[in-house]
Amino acid sequence: MAAGTNKPLLSVRDLVVEFETDQGVLRAVDGVSFDIHAGETLGLVGESGCGKTVTGLSILGLVPSPPGRIVSGRILLEGSDLAGMDEVGLRKIRGSKVSMIFQEPMTALNPVFRIGNQMRDVLQRHQGLTRLQAHSAAIEILAKVGIPEPAVRVEDYPHQLSGGMRQRVMIAMALSCGPKLLVADEPTTALDVTTQAQVLEQIVRLQQEFGMAMLLVTHDLGVVAETCRHAVVMYCGRIVESSSIDELFARPRHPYTTGLLASIPRATEERGDELPVIPGMVPDLLHLPRGCAFADRCPKAHERCRQSVPHLDLLQSTRTSVACYEPNA
Amino acid sequence: MSARADTVGAHGDSLWSKAFRKFRHDRVGMWSLAVVLAYAIVALGVVLGVWATDWAEVSGPKWSPASVEYWFGTNIIGQDIFARSLYSTRTAFEVGLLVALGATALGALLGAIAGFFSGTWIDELIIWVMGVLDSVPFILLVAAIAYTLQGSPWAMHIAMISTFWIGTARLIRGEVIKLKSLEYVEAAQAIGVNRLMIIFRHILPNTFHILLVQATLSFVAAIKSEVILSFLGLGVKDGMSWGLMISESTFEVLAGFFNNFLAASVLMFGLVMAFNMFSDALQDALDPRTVK
Amino acid sequence: MNPTPESSDSVLLQVRDLKKYFPVRGGWFRGVQQQLKAVDGISFALHSGRTLGLVGESGCGKSTLGRALLNLHPPTAGDVLLDGLPLAGLSRQALFARRRDMQIIFQDPFASLSPRRTVAQIVREPLDVHRLGTQRERRRRVEELLGVVGLRSNALNRYPHEFSGGQRQRIGIARALALKPRFIVADEPVSALDVSVQSQVLNLIGKLQAELGIAFLFISHDLAVIRHISDEVAVMYLGKFVEHAPAEKIFAAPKHPYTKALLSSIPVPDPANKSPRMVLEGDVPSPMNPPAGCPFHPRCPIATERCRIEVPALRESQTDSEHVVGCYLAT
Repeated sequence: MAAGTNKPLLSVRDLVVEFETDQGVLRAVDGVSFDIHAGETLGLVGESGCGKTVTGLSILGLVPSPPGRIVSGRILLEGSDLAGMDEVGLRKIRGSKVSMIFQEPMTALNPVFRIGNQMRDVLQRHQGLTRLQAHSAAIEILAKVGIPEPAVRVEDYPHQLSGGMRQRVMIAMALSCGPKLLVADEPTTALDVTTQAQVLEQIVRLQQEFGMAMLLVTHDLGVVAETCRHAVVMYCGRIVESSSIDELFARPRHPYTTGLLASIPRATEERGDELPVIPGMVPDLLHLPRGCAFADRCPKAHERCRQSVPHLDLLQSTRTSVACYEPNA
Repeated sequence: MSARADTVGAHGDSLWSKAFRKFRHDRVGMWSLAVVLAYAIVALGVVLGVWATDWAEVSGPKWSPASVEYWFGTNIIGQDIFARSLYSTRTAFEVGLLVALGATALGALLGAIAGFFSGTWIDELIIWVMGVLDSVPFILLVAAIAYTLQGSPWAMHIAMISTFWIGTARLIRGEVIKLKSLEYVEAAQAIGVNRLMIIFRHILPNTFHILLVQATLSFVAAIKSEVILSFLGLGVKDGMSWGLMISESTFEVLAGFFNNFLAASVLMFGLVMAFNMFSDALQDALDPRTVK
Repeated sequence: MNPTPESSDSVLLQVRDLKKYFPVRGGWFRGVQQQLKAVDGISFALHSGRTLGLVGESGCGKSTLGRALLNLHPPTAGDVLLDGLPLAGLSRQALFARRRDMQIIFQDPFASLSPRRTVAQIVREPLDVHRLGTQRERRRRVEELLGVVGLRSNALNRYPHEFSGGQRQRIGIARALALKPRFIVADEPVSALDVSVQSQVLNLIGKLQAELGIAFLFISHDLAVIRHISDEVAVMYLGKFVEHAPAEKIFAAPKHPYTKALLSSIPVPDPANKSPRMVLEGDVPSPMNPPAGCPFHPRCPIATERCRIEVPALRESQTDSEHVVGCYLAT
C-alpha cells in the first residue's frame, strides 16, 4: 500500500470481528487488511456502523467481549500477533507500544482523580519511573501538548478543564510512554471548529516530533484530507477503497467514495440548490445483501454486483485498490 | 431530494420487546414468576369461593397434627390451618395489590408534578411533605392513622400507601427532571400542548419501567408490613392473614405446637422470596445497560 | 441596520435587543449569585422565505436564541415581533394561536421523538392540539406530510426506534410542518447525521423552503452546511452577533477576526487546496464570566487597548451597508 520496501509497523490481515446480538451474529468487520509504516498516518474513513471504530479497538484488544469477538485474521505489530494475544500481553503493549485516544475525553478520564495522578500511574507502570520522576515527566508532556501552566493544571480534576484541554490531556497520556502507533478515534469530533484546528495541528506536530505512526479513525473527510497521506474507506465492515489522499480526492474510484465526496457541502462553494445524494440508506448489518453491500444504492450496479462480493484489488498502473467491478476511470 | 422514499428498516427494538426477550431467557426470573402465579391462583380460588370457604369453622379437635383430613393440622380451637393459610394468601394479595397500585399511582403523580415543576414552590411543597412523612416512625404513623380512622379496616392500607409512595416519587421526580429537558418535550411545548398533557402523555409513559419495578417492590413491602402490623394488632381487622396466624400462634409455640407458625411463615417467605427474585429479574430485563 | 437587501417581501420576524439571562443560584441560601448572559442584546430582521444561518461554537448562545424566539425560553428583555405583532405579553391563548406560525426542528433525532408514540400520533399531535380539520382530514394530512418529507405511509403505525437517524429527522420535520408554519428554527438539524444522510436532509429543507416559502433560522456549527443553505449569515460569540451579512459576502470577505478564524479553521476536503490556517489561541471564555470589553479580545490576534475596555457595537461596514460587524478594527 505505502511506498517503501521496509516492513510495515502494523500489518492487519483479513481481520474479522463479530458481535453476538439478540437477533443473531453481526459481522462488524469483514476481512479488513491494511498496513501502516513507521511514522505514517493512515486515515480510516466511513459512516457510523461501517466498522471503523471496531477495527481501531481490535488493534488494542479493546473490543468488548462478550458480545464481541475477533473471529479470524492477524494484527501484526512488529511481527507479533496482537489478535491472538492474551490480556496480560496486551496490557503490556497498550500504552507503551500502542495508545488510543477517543472521541469523548470525559469518559476516558476518571472524574475522581487529578489528571496528574492518572498520568503518573501510566508512567510508573510502563516506564518504571519513581513518583517524583513521573510527576515531572507528566508536567513536561502536558507542556508539550500545549497546556498553559502545566505545573498548575496537573493538579486539576478532569471537570475543571474545557473539552479541548481534556482532549489534550488524553493525548498527553497517550503519548507519555512514547508509543510507536497512536490509534485516534474521532479525536476532534466532539470539539468546536477552532479548537479542532488547534488539536489537529498539535497531533500532527507531535506525531512528527515523536516519529509515531497514526491510525486516524474519522467520518470527517476534511480532517482526513488535512492530516493523512493515505486513506482507507470502509462500508458495511469492508474496505471499499484504499488510496493515497491526493488520488482519493482527485479520482475517487469506488462509486461510494465518489458519492460521499460529492455529497459534502463545501464552504468554498456558492450557495447550491441541491446537493448530489447517495440514495437510500446503509443496509442493516444483520441482513446484508449477498453481493456488494453498496449495490442497492449504486448507480452503476448490475447483475454481477448483486451476486458476488467484489475483492479489494489493486488497479492497474496505480497504487489504488478498490473493491468494485465497475471502478471509475 | 431523492424522489425515492426510504424503506423502513428494523433498527433495534423497543425497550419492552427487548425486556420481554431478556426476561424469557432468565431462568430464575421465569421460575419465580411461576411461583408467584401459583400463589395468585390460590388467592383467586379463595376469592371465587373454590376453596378455603371453611377457614373460620371450628371443624376438628384442638391442635390436631398434620393428617389426610387436616393437611397442616388444626389450631388451638380446632380450625383447619391449611384453609386458613389459603385464605391468608388472598389477604396478602389484596393488601399487596392495593398498596402497590395506590402507592405507585400516588408516587408517580406527585413525583411527576414535583419533577416537572422542579425549582418552584410546588416542588418544594411536595418535597417537604415527603420529608415529613418519611421522618415519622412507620408503626407510630399506622397507630395514629388507625386511631384517627376509628378502627377502620382500611387504616393499614392507607398508612402503607401514605409512606410507600415516597420512594417511588423520589425516583420519578429525578427521572422527570431528566426527561423534561429532552427535545421531544420541547417539541410538544412548541406545538402548544398544555402542561398537564405534556406530563401525562409525553413524560409519564416513559417512566413505566421504573413504576413497574417500584410496584413489585411495594407489593413485597406491603406483605411483610402486614405481617408485622397484624402481629401487633394494628393490621387486618376482620378476616385472616399470615400475620394474624403468627400472632395467634404465640401461645401455641410456648406449648410446643408449631404448625400454625410454620405454615404462615413458610408461605409468606415463599411468596416474598419469589416476588423479590421476580422483581430483580424484571429490573435486569428492563435495564438497557445489561448485556444479555 | 439589517443586511437583507431591499425587497418587496414584508419583514416576517423582527427581533429587537433580545436578551435571555439565566439566573445562577449558589451560596448558602441559594440566592441568585450571577446572571448567565446566554443571549445578550441581539437584533435582526428576517424576511419571509429566507434563511438566516446562525454560526457559533458551543456555548455561544445560538440554541438559546432559537428557543427564545419561540418563547420556549421566555426572553428576559427585548422584543420579538411576528408580522409586526410582539410575542411578549401575549396571553396564553394568544401565544397558543401564534405557535401555528413558528415551529422548531431539533438536533438529536433520538431525543426529539417520544419513544412511546407512533409516527402517526407524533405527526398528528399538532393537528389534534390545534383542532385543525376533521378526524379524516387530519389522517389525510398526516399521510400527505409523510409524503412531503419522503417517508412511505407504511411508516404510520411504527415507533421511532424502528427508523434510522435520517428518517427520524424527517419525522421531526413532518411534525414541524403540520401546522403550516411560516417560520422554523432548525437547531443543528443535520449535525447528528452521517454525511450521505446529511445531504438528503439538507436537500429536503432546501426544497421545503423553496416550495412552501418558509423562513428559517438555521443554527449550525458547520460553516460548510451554513454556506450551502443560507441567504444571510450571522456569527455569534458569547451571546452577541459579531458579524451579520449576506452569505456570499461573509464567506468571500469576512471582516471580524473571529469569523476569519472560524473560516480558516474548517478542514477542507480537498488536499490540493490547502490554505494557511489561522489558529486561535485559548478557549471560548465562560459565559458566566465574560471578559470586559470586546468578548473576543483575549483570543484576538489584533486586539488593541480600546478592545479591552469598550464593547464594540454592531455597525455597518465602511464599504457595504449590508455588511454589519462588531469590531473597531474591521473596515
